[in-house]
Amino acid sequence: MNCMARTETGNLLERNQCVIRMPLGLLGFERYKSFTLLTRPTEEPFLRLQAVGNPKLAFLVVSPFVVAPDYRPTIPKEDVRFLGLEGPEDALIVNIVTVSGPKQATVNLKGPIVLNRRTLTAKQVIPVNSPDFSVAHPLPVRGG
Amino acid sequence: MLILSRKLNESIVIDGRITVKVVRIDGEVIKLGITAPADVPVHRQEVYEEIRQSNQAAAIPHLGPVPRLSTSQRSTTEALALQPLAGTLPAKP
Repeated sequence: MNCMARTETGNLLERNQCVIRMPLGLLGFERYKSFTLLTRPTEEPFLRLQAVGNPKLAFLVVSPFVVAPDYRPTIPKEDVRFLGLEGPEDALIVNIVTVSGPKQATVNLKGPIVLNRRTLTAKQVIPVNSPDFSVAHPLPVRGG
Repeated sequence: MLILSRKLNESIVIDGRITVKVVRIDGEVIKLGITAPADVPVHRQEVYEEIRQSNQAAAIPHLGPVPRLSTSQRSTTEALALQPLAGTLPAKP
């Protein structure tokens, strides 16, 4: 399967087998460098970032713009270069969700995961304007 | 801990590939210039720690029920496709 080809978002999700490379891993989980992005209809709009090689390690992630429409993290130049982003259309941003109870969840807006959809390389970046964002931005949970 | 004294504009070299230079001293604030290969992440410690702890708390070894959001439900695909990314990348010189 040619995962390196430019992918539309839908294709990226349908092709769950596509491996996302995170050469630097996630902060605190540096040894895991390959992930897949999975979607389950019952969990929308969340996705799962599943570590390859460790079925027990996964993260719930969400498109930040669903929960914080005005979110505009400025990606540092070094990270743009590292990820090979040639324009905004190359990038896809997801943020890690912490579920602390059935009715309580927060999203980390301070350390977004930026993915190059062309190359499927990703990195957890610290935006230039990270002081503006919370690591635990409350999510509007139904019944919460 | 290795302790070295450096003056303004002096550097240290780590592992032959990382250079840390004192570029400015302004009272209690010292500005460091760091040159490192792209595969060496450099972070302010407190920010690194905050995100690392958040990641640890978010890791789901055994995920329970995923909460439902009370915002207008958009499909994941739609939500990702509609990302307003303009302005997130630094302006090209």
